[in-house]
Amino acid sequence: MRSLILKKSTWLPYLMLSPVLFILGAFFIGGILLAFLQSLGYFPIIGLEKFTLIYYKEVITSPDFMAALGHSFYICVVSTLISTVIGVYLAYYIAGLSHKNKGIDFLYKIPIAVPHIVAALMIVFMVSQGGIIARLVMKMGFISEPNQFPSLIYSKNAIGIILIYIWKEVPFITLMVYTVMANIQKNLGEVALTLGASKRQVFYHVILPLSTPAIMSASVIVFAYSFGAFEIPYLLGATYPRTLPVWAYLNYISPDLTNRPIAMVISMIITVLAIIMVWLYTASLKKLVRYKL
Amino acid sequence: MRLNKIFSLTIFYLLITPFIVLILWSFTQTWPAGELLPSEFGFRGWRYILEPHSKVWHSLLVSLSLSGAVTLISLIISIPAGKAIAHYDFVGKSLVETLILAPIIVPPIAVGMGIHLSFIKYGLADSFLGVLLIHLTVTLPYSVRIFISVFKAAGTKWDEQGRTLKANWWARFRYITWYLIKPGLVTGSALVFNVSFSQYFLTFLIGGGKVITLPLILFPFINSGDRVIASSLSLIFILSSLFFMIIAEKCIEDNQRQSEFYYL
Repeated sequence: MRSLILKKSTWLPYLMLSPVLFILGAFFIGGILLAFLQSLGYFPIIGLEKFTLIYYKEVITSPDFMAALGHSFYICVVSTLISTVIGVYLAYYIAGLSHKNKGIDFLYKIPIAVPHIVAALMIVFMVSQGGIIARLVMKMGFISEPNQFPSLIYSKNAIGIILIYIWKEVPFITLMVYTVMANIQKNLGEVALTLGASKRQVFYHVILPLSTPAIMSASVIVFAYSFGAFEIPYLLGATYPRTLPVWAYLNYISPDLTNRPIAMVISMIITVLAIIMVWLYTASLKKLVRYKL
Repeated sequence: MRLNKIFSLTIFYLLITPFIVLILWSFTQTWPAGELLPSEFGFRGWRYILEPHSKVWHSLLVSLSLSGAVTLISLIISIPAGKAIAHYDFVGKSLVETLILAPIIVPPIAVGMGIHLSFIKYGLADSFLGVLLIHLTVTLPYSVRIFISVFKAAGTKWDEQGRTLKANWWARFRYITWYLIKPGLVTGSALVFNVSFSQYFLTFLIGGGKVITLPLILFPFINSGDRVIASSLSLIFILSSLFFMIIAEKCIEDNQRQSEFYYL
């Protein structure tokens, strides 16, 4: 990395940033602040103008809350872990190929061009009881009826949802990590090999520690996304337990307008948890990297 | 190494097989339960979509113009922003950086539900403009991020060279910066376009059913309904994305594409 001498200027950078800051300030920060106000029960349209914490209390003491929280965590921890491990492995493999692989160009386009809902459709075609895998298992004689195939969609185990996330996130992580790994491999990896390190040692002592920041930021993005995502669990999740975003949304669209503050409370909780987890994760990995290097 | 290869190829094929199944479904006429292959192929799904009065054409047009506009605005305002963060030191920089990356972490559900009422109040709800503005909050983190890395990698020396040669602001942009940001523009437009193109929740909430994009048409098909039509719709979706990416790449024509680097 070539070091950069940063220029100092009192007003120019702010001018250059102003359009982006205006949009994010007005609509992003604005949206979060309004959600926060509404979560405190400030809702002039339906005559609620007093600030109160009762909605927070109501959500946190509800038995649905722990169920939803646990379910959200389960889905996003499992899918992030598995996609990170596979993604890093694949990145390492592709970075190690001597000739440039066409596959990487393909991998580059999948995560970008295929939206989550299309990924969902494809995984349903694969793993549902009417899917290809169930048909294959039936043809091979392991089961005689489609409904003997374990139910992975609309089920509590949420395996279908997790598979959708894995399918979608593996190429994303591979790509983010690949760029960095290819560089390290080319420079430091070769040096270490020349100095007599084994391939295994190069991987664990050179490549992995140096690409940790890239792995970290890739998996943080994936983790935060799957924690706050609404579409897939809404379409293919079990009726109980629900994930936090789905629970928030169902409260939001309820005809009873007094449920709106509840929806806001849940979405504030999702926001705060996402920020805390990302912060914890980043802090702990920073420590790890400093220790290893 | 042999085992590695087998393992990687397995992952690779697991990633592609669903595509093949999707394509098969889109050309299916009848596919009886329990059979591994369709018993009869046909164009039912494609005919449904290509019918002139189907909602698909209209939603495709809305989607393309919405995401096209989002991409254009997002990229234009991200270039100076990325440069400011990469090349300048200023008070409150880390705060600005955090704000810019925050929308990647904070779920859109909180932002969308929070701002919905004020959008209704100011007439932005149920409108193209409202949806466009809310899409920008989601795409900007990605495009600014890309240009930060582009400008960091390029450094300031080219710009200084230009200054030394007394090139004015426009000349420096046209003959120096433009060439430095080209690869960023290619990946940036692909990424931003697709983040906006595949956005369901915010379009649905803020657009209130008035701004119908392709994901809104596709959504109900995922868990129920006609698999054949759903597959054809999905393929139209992916093809339009790929088509846009190729067009963008050709327009910006980055001849020595730095394919080693995928700015994400």
